[in-house]
Amino acid sequence: MPKTLIELYAAVSPVAKQVLQIPRFDSTLTMMSTPSWDSLRHVQLLGAIERKFGIEIGGEDAFKLTSAHKLVSYLHARLERGSQK
Amino acid sequence: MTLLPYQQSPRVNLPYINFRDLLKKKTEKDPDREFLIFPESDRTFTYGEFHALSVAASEWINARTRERGTSCILFRNTPEFLAVFFGAVALGMTIVPINPDLAAAEIRFIIENSGGASVFYDPELQEKLAPLKAEMRHVVFYSLSDVAELPKVDVAAVEARLPYVESTTAAAIIYTSGTTGYPKGVILSHMNFLVDGKAIAEWFQFDSRTRSLCILPLFHNNGLVVSLTSTMYAGGSIIMIDPKASLRSFWALVERYHATFTSVMPSILAAILALGFDGGPGTLRGIISGGQLLPRKLAQKFESRFGVPIFEGFGSTEATSYSCFQAYPAERRKPGSVGRAMPISEMMIVDDTDAEVPDGTEGEICIRGANVAIGYHNLPELQNARFRGSWYHSGDYGVRDKDGDYFFRSRKDDLIVKGGEKIYPAEIENVLSTHPNVTECAIIGVDDVILGQEICAFVSLKDPGASAEADLLNYCSRFLARFKQPKRIVIVNQIEDLAELPKGPTKKILYRVLRDYYERRLGNSEDPEALKWVLGSQGAG
Repeated sequence: MPKTLIELYAAVSPVAKQVLQIPRFDSTLTMMSTPSWDSLRHVQLLGAIERKFGIEIGGEDAFKLTSAHKLVSYLHARLERGSQK
Repeated sequence: MTLLPYQQSPRVNLPYINFRDLLKKKTEKDPDREFLIFPESDRTFTYGEFHALSVAASEWINARTRERGTSCILFRNTPEFLAVFFGAVALGMTIVPINPDLAAAEIRFIIENSGGASVFYDPELQEKLAPLKAEMRHVVFYSLSDVAELPKVDVAAVEARLPYVESTTAAAIIYTSGTTGYPKGVILSHMNFLVDGKAIAEWFQFDSRTRSLCILPLFHNNGLVVSLTSTMYAGGSIIMIDPKASLRSFWALVERYHATFTSVMPSILAAILALGFDGGPGTLRGIISGGQLLPRKLAQKFESRFGVPIFEGFGSTEATSYSCFQAYPAERRKPGSVGRAMPISEMMIVDDTDAEVPDGTEGEICIRGANVAIGYHNLPELQNARFRGSWYHSGDYGVRDKDGDYFFRSRKDDLIVKGGEKIYPAEIENVLSTHPNVTECAIIGVDDVILGQEICAFVSLKDPGASAEADLLNYCSRFLARFKQPKRIVIVNQIEDLAELPKGPTKKILYRVLRDYYERRLGNSEDPEALKWVLGSQGAG
């Protein structure tokens, strides 16, 4: 399981590139600057990430994940928390 | 104060002059009440805090604009959007909210067409706007990443310097798709916004305990009027969410923030149902739905699954937002109708000679009242055609029954409504026809389970072997916002039973024939299997 932010970017990248149909996934990517990151694709992206990392992203968090940075930071915190349990 | 002929009846008693007056009076009444809640950034503003912020924004904007004219803004549903909006209109400026998802060429058209002298934008759009900033030397661009950057001011001192702004002053120009393929600007006054906000607040019995969940973009009227102005009119609170991120969180947000009302497009209801998100009504007393036709089956399924009544209405940007609604509370609704005219509006159905038709007869829906716009920006011919005889002629067809309830039937033209976004075929045809290998093209709206309609292009190529569908889609993406790009492009030279675009005796393309062809030959193959149950063909829910 990836642990560092760099490892997480690398792990999320293929999923995000496929779902959002984008050539690259990096920390500069935001929902606003990415036309293909629309409401349905956001749902698909979170679903794909849940499956990949074996976690559930609740509705109280999903609306906050509006950029690559926020998404990966959230995953990092979630996985950190998981590993401490 | 002079009202235009189509704004004079019925008479409306409006206790507020303009947006600033409304905000100031609500602040004086209850300064500590929560006004705006932004869960994404975890920021909340009371009426008092936001009032001070809007005054600071006025000062900041005033120092940056050479003249108090028209200014364009590009933001998501953020405090920055609202601070600039309230700050600018308090100065008597006219704001043009622009959809940040538009392509650079589309944004440029709106800035130029509106005569925008300044542009305030979210720094996330820096890359998209860079070429415009380089080319449009006469326009000044200012980014605002955080309202915390606005300098603190002496609120009373700045307010004393603000000009008196008449009710009839233009507060906003809202751009909406046009039949010619170029968006048209609808000019709305402070009075338009406040009257429509008042009507909606009173219709649904909003009060200071009302908590509206705003999941529609503020650059469209629905978000700006139904969620913001009407709730503010009642002194309530608004929870502002980025529309693109809200679907999955819908019920969690209702529960967490004790939302009592929300306003949606039918496509949002379809998506929430289809994606299977669980939730319950909680504090939610109603969902307002408009922007496109709400299928009866969808409304019934949603209500029976989640237990929240949906209230359908009818309106248009030219009438600020809504002019009629189904009755509130829910047991008084007439199923299938879009309801009755609100007290601020008068509506009638006319025939082709503009004569009112008897109840039960189909005709064009016309509206008048203080919510009807000033008119179109720099489009005198269209202005005269649509705002005539003291009525706004909507171009929508419907009937009124003997009880005064209206029923929407159809559009007069080929307007496509995709997820609430209105798109005229010419907008896409104008782009596709400039492709060097396209000889002619036609755009139609086709049924879509979630979005209501999708876009299909039929093109005829000079050299059928030289361009694939992907090439043409890529070409569209250079000039059109993503939501306007066709889902499918059919190359007619490559189809045996079509071969060329069907035309009538006057050589005009027969769109009806293309729609029939799509339904017969292409339609079903695109229905997502997993979502079919929304329309009742499967029983997944």
